[in-house]
Amino acid sequence: MADKGIIKWQKPMQKVLYALTPAVLASVYFFGWRSLAVLAAANLAAYASEYCFARYYKDQVTSAVFVSATLFALSLPPNIPFSMAVIGIIFGIVFGKMVFGGFGKNVFNPAIAGRAFIYINFSTEMTGRWFEPFRDKLGGLSSYTTDAVCGATPMQVLKSGGEVSLLDLLVGNTAGCFGETCAALLIIGGLYLFFTKTANYRLTLSCVLAAAGLQAALYYGGVQGALPPLHALLSGGFVLAAIFMVTDPVSAPKSDISRWIYGALIGVLTVVIRTFSIWAEGAMFAILLGNMFAPLIDYAVNEIKSKKKKAA
Amino acid sequence: MSNEYMGYFAIFFSAIFTQNVLLTYYLGMCPFLGASREVKTAAGLGTAVTLVMTCTTVLNYIVYKYLIVPYDLEYLRFIVFIIVIAAFVQVAEIVIERLSEKLYNALGIFLPLITVNCAILGVSLFMVIREYTLGLSFFYGLGSGLGWMLAILAMAGIRQKMTKSRVPGPLAGTGIALIIAGIMAIAFMGFSGVIKG
Repeated sequence: MADKGIIKWQKPMQKVLYALTPAVLASVYFFGWRSLAVLAAANLAAYASEYCFARYYKDQVTSAVFVSATLFALSLPPNIPFSMAVIGIIFGIVFGKMVFGGFGKNVFNPAIAGRAFIYINFSTEMTGRWFEPFRDKLGGLSSYTTDAVCGATPMQVLKSGGEVSLLDLLVGNTAGCFGETCAALLIIGGLYLFFTKTANYRLTLSCVLAAAGLQAALYYGGVQGALPPLHALLSGGFVLAAIFMVTDPVSAPKSDISRWIYGALIGVLTVVIRTFSIWAEGAMFAILLGNMFAPLIDYAVNEIKSKKKKAA
Repeated sequence: MSNEYMGYFAIFFSAIFTQNVLLTYYLGMCPFLGASREVKTAAGLGTAVTLVMTCTTVLNYIVYKYLIVPYDLEYLRFIVFIIVIAAFVQVAEIVIERLSEKLYNALGIFLPLITVNCAILGVSLFMVIREYTLGLSFFYGLGSGLGWMLAILAMAGIRQKMTKSRVPGPLAGTGIALIIAGIMAIAFMGFSGVIKG
């Protein structure tokens, strides 16, 4: 193994890491150096758990594991105990990916599987405690962690009838998970991915369009608890999810038509779960559900295509 | 009136999503694990389960309300429900064979096997515990059947895709299927609270 190196670097995965760098820097700026420590812990735990399985398969650890761990860490709330971050990513990598045979074989997105696991098990830490980001010029660069407790994320404020400015959501100086708050930098990262053709734009586009459409319909239809569409799309984990998680090439379907359906399904489910369920955030569950039905969508599209061919 | 319809609507959708008989109560696991290797078989079994579940829930409702309750036979309801289910499946098999050879062949071995599917009995028992009316029982049975079908279709899709993946030896087959079912159940938790039914 030694001659091949311990890590198998994959070009597309490296590009995703580059695209995530601004978001990582923003998380340090807004929430202090601790976010980098959580990121490192998650990456180490992820590497270690994949390494155990890679030895069993007599294979190399793929660089995709760092993408999973980084995405996972960015979707955690600040001040999450290290133990939970580690438990989550180990679950995600082991049960979300390695038991299926490793990179390229997984059905579910490992980062999302891990996050959902701790979201359900430690819901107080995952949803109940939010912290104000640093708002002065130096930001979090001068301190380890934030300690200004605040009650609610923008989404919760909006849901209870408060106001949050769109600019704040774009810049990201709002309460929320490490890497989810700064929409602008995430979008820049996303554009880089689309222009280098690393991520398939169909997935993100259909997801955003479907979510915006349904959100607008609910909001202007006067449904209780529905957020204004633009605010809803920029708040919470939707931007991170739509750009980086929906486009995961392994768990998404393979043909173009099914990609449109898959993205739209996730967009619609995100809005439905956000608006009506007991959970504040829907993007994560929506992606898991999307992963779950992706193979079926692919199958159905292929069947219909082959039937049409037979008829013609 | 509109309230009543909303009730049917809520029961129907909550049986599919928020209270999916398979992914929240884990009923009907054996056929779920056993017959989910291919989408085609899963679709056949799912159709059969939906059909039987809808009809037996309604039949059991009638039997329960007009036979078991008036004669104070509640302690016999498990046996009676099973007999109703078994009898219905037998009759349905004969009728389907007569009416549509195609459907009969498609359902094949699954129709008789459904008699021992615990999801069917479970749905009938939930119907009693939750004190549904006749109309609600119908929509509950139909929704539960469709929810079960949705879950097994998704599972079959995943397993069919996974034929080429290298699952570690000890986990191959049922082991990996249970792990998938677990993650599917986590995903379905996302629906909690969507419908208050």
